[in-house]
Amino acid sequence: MSRTTAVLKRIFLGRPMHHGEMEHTLLPKTIALPVFSSDPLSSNAYATQEALLVLATVGAAGLDLIQPVSIAVATLLAIVVTSYRQTVQAYPTGGGAYRVAHENLGMYPGLLAASALLIDYVLTVAVSITAGVEAMTSASPALHEHKIIIAFAFIGFVTLMNLRGVKESGTLFAIPTYGFVLVIYLMIATGVSRCVFGTCPVAESADLPLPPEHALTFFLILRAFAAGTTALTGVEAIADGVPAFRYPQSKNAAKTLTIMAALSISMFLGISWLADQTHVVYLEHLEEQRSVVAQIASAVFSGGFLFYVVQAMSAAILILAANTAYQDFPRLSSILAKDNYMPHQFMNRGDRLVFSNGVLILAVLSGILIVIFDANLTRLIQLYLVGVFISFTLSQSGMVMRMRKLREAGWRKRAALSGFGATVTGVVLIVIAWTKFQRGAYIVIVAIPFFMAAMWSVNRHYSSVKGELARPDPRTADRRRGHQHMVIYVQRLDAATARSLGVVRSMRPAEVTAVTTDPGTASAWRRLAREVPLTTLSGQGNVRRQLRDHLAARRTELDEHDFLTLVVPELLQSRNLIEVFRRPGLTRLKAAMLTAPGVQLLNVPMVVDEIDPSIDETVEPARNHVLVLVSGVHNATLQAIEYAESLHATDIRAISFGLDPERTETLGNLWLEARIPHPLEIEASPFRDIGLSLRDYIRQFDADGVNQVVTVVMPEFVVSKRRHQILHGQTALVVKRHVLFERGVVAVSVPYHLHQS
Amino acid sequence: MAFLGSFFRDLSRTPEETRADNLRDWTATIRGAVPIAELKPRERAKVAGVIQNIRIDPREGSGSIEATIIDGTGQMVARWLGRDRMPGIGLGMGLLIEGMCGVGDEGELVILNPEYDLVADPETG
Repeated sequence: MSRTTAVLKRIFLGRPMHHGEMEHTLLPKTIALPVFSSDPLSSNAYATQEALLVLATVGAAGLDLIQPVSIAVATLLAIVVTSYRQTVQAYPTGGGAYRVAHENLGMYPGLLAASALLIDYVLTVAVSITAGVEAMTSASPALHEHKIIIAFAFIGFVTLMNLRGVKESGTLFAIPTYGFVLVIYLMIATGVSRCVFGTCPVAESADLPLPPEHALTFFLILRAFAAGTTALTGVEAIADGVPAFRYPQSKNAAKTLTIMAALSISMFLGISWLADQTHVVYLEHLEEQRSVVAQIASAVFSGGFLFYVVQAMSAAILILAANTAYQDFPRLSSILAKDNYMPHQFMNRGDRLVFSNGVLILAVLSGILIVIFDANLTRLIQLYLVGVFISFTLSQSGMVMRMRKLREAGWRKRAALSGFGATVTGVVLIVIAWTKFQRGAYIVIVAIPFFMAAMWSVNRHYSSVKGELARPDPRTADRRRGHQHMVIYVQRLDAATARSLGVVRSMRPAEVTAVTTDPGTASAWRRLAREVPLTTLSGQGNVRRQLRDHLAARRTELDEHDFLTLVVPELLQSRNLIEVFRRPGLTRLKAAMLTAPGVQLLNVPMVVDEIDPSIDETVEPARNHVLVLVSGVHNATLQAIEYAESLHATDIRAISFGLDPERTETLGNLWLEARIPHPLEIEASPFRDIGLSLRDYIRQFDADGVNQVVTVVMPEFVVSKRRHQILHGQTALVVKRHVLFERGVVAVSVPYHLHQS
Repeated sequence: MAFLGSFFRDLSRTPEETRADNLRDWTATIRGAVPIAELKPRERAKVAGVIQNIRIDPREGSGSIEATIIDGTGQMVARWLGRDRMPGIGLGMGLLIEGMCGVGDEGELVILNPEYDLVADPETG
């Protein structure tokens, strides 16, 4: 990484954190409450409004139903929270609905819950940001036409805060959450006392004509109820986030749930009561109307200063509610990655101990949704609830199964509670799917099976790879060691080519040949290396194909255990990454050779400033230290070790950059069991930058390329389907980038071809 | 503004420096532990540090497991000979070792087959 990017990263993201600093990113209750409750609490800013929207379609008589509908919703919230308290206590490791369903109901319900939750998190960001922008435009209507740009700015802001890491986000987010709760309570208290002791304030929209569009039917009441259940969104977030709480985690999470529920229910009922008393009307097709909370606040505070405070706090908490999803989406992704249902890259914590890839994906997906739905809250919200209620239902059903299995004291009572909760949310789920299907819920119902299928196929891929890597390989049995055959690719006669010759000579292969596409090099080559026969390819047409064919022909002459290495000298003009792009032909050629069966690639880079005319580069270096990069003990590693053994090196060692203590121990024991006769070094990579750690490690050898060379051997997976390549880490790429410019370092890729379906 | 304060301090101090500070503060709290910088060869010593590197050498004759620990003042090696299992250690763990301090082939400080204990360290808790 260049110096400038490093400084920029530190300014925007903060200093990199050592993984041991995890403990410090755990949240005390006072901060966990705002971090995880901003989502459920903020839904009060629009839940009443969504229910009113439905009720208004039957005319003025419908509006009176807001109170009974709200009470039903509040009761549901109480049931779900009581039941969820049991979940967080049973599952202190988090994972929420996914974990519970996966463990107790099986893989498919687990994947269903996971898909529902992932979709839910994306929608949480889209809906919250949109509602926040609406709160702003309610206070300042002139901003209405810029709402998508404002929404994007907010997504960018929240994304950046989250790339910085959990705790600092927590401190910053505490203020608006507590502020929102306070100002809403103040609004309710003022409104209630004005109604009780004087005259009720009247909302600006109270006189709007309300022509009845529909008859008051049971279905319509159900629709209003379903719309009101948006008040429950976000409850699942606490259950998923237990690992971010400070110890004792379960207890703290359960307490936070209770406090959150008490706040949420009182606020929701208060707002609905005031909506009824002030006769607020909210219509679906009316542009430029202010949100229900804005109208109530304006009426209660007579449009004064406090009205603007309510709007500011609503906007702030809504923007930050998106933050809840930013906590959970990356965390769930990492859990899924660990369980092999998502690409392993989602497990990587970034510089600030945040799962950076998850954060970025979430930002992109929610941004797309906002554009598609034109930042229209009512349309977006139709998609929202299906995922939430699927996860509620599965999680509680899973809890029932778990209690039945464990049969701990008093399990019947608790199972009955969870079972009741599951039944209720299951029924509500059907109601939501039924009443909102045509209005947008179908998109989610169609999307979920796609997510499930994708996760299932990722899992199948990983398990077949694992099986293939672990399968006993004839390689480990007694047999003749593979001989080394090397082919030097001569593009021109330069210092890098000469050095390649020296390096190759030090490796004492069974056979060395050279190949070129330029007939002009032949006579000079004979003077340089008389003993190495040079084959000239025509150079017409596709060089890559010709080279591949040449190697394939050579391969057929060899025993299957022999190695055939293509040596690629590379003279670099500078130590800048731009070098990689300067010769796209060579880069593509190297990539193409990686997929050629039975061919290994030895890259000998040399930077022009290393050229010293007084040195004969073709003389073999006295010492060659071989490092084999290892991530586990499996066939790909064993093959790379055997390759290293064929190089006649000064010494061979395996090296691994691990970070978690358990994995180091397992790897060490596997290494000892496999009886690999070489030392293994496991090096801490405290700032999780493998490239930098490797660079520092290499530098201790003081390789100069002339007397002393370091050879880095990298086992690489090559999968048969190109789209699967993304499921395998880009560690090799990162490593190559870092070793390319190190003095006296050559790199070997030893591809391991996976044949899985 | 504590937030801004730490922000600017972060910028002026490298991560490695902050880490060394933390480690020194931590070893100071462990009773009897001597900072690595103050160790003398051929004396018994008790040292605490965080495991930075583990080297496993299964080759016959020299089979050994080594852990390099750092404490913010320096680094040293704990070496166990003739083992075919890991002694329950992992990268990043806090290690308290006690034994006769010697000097290894490359001039590094070594305690051979030390008595050892895992301790909660400031980084992994």
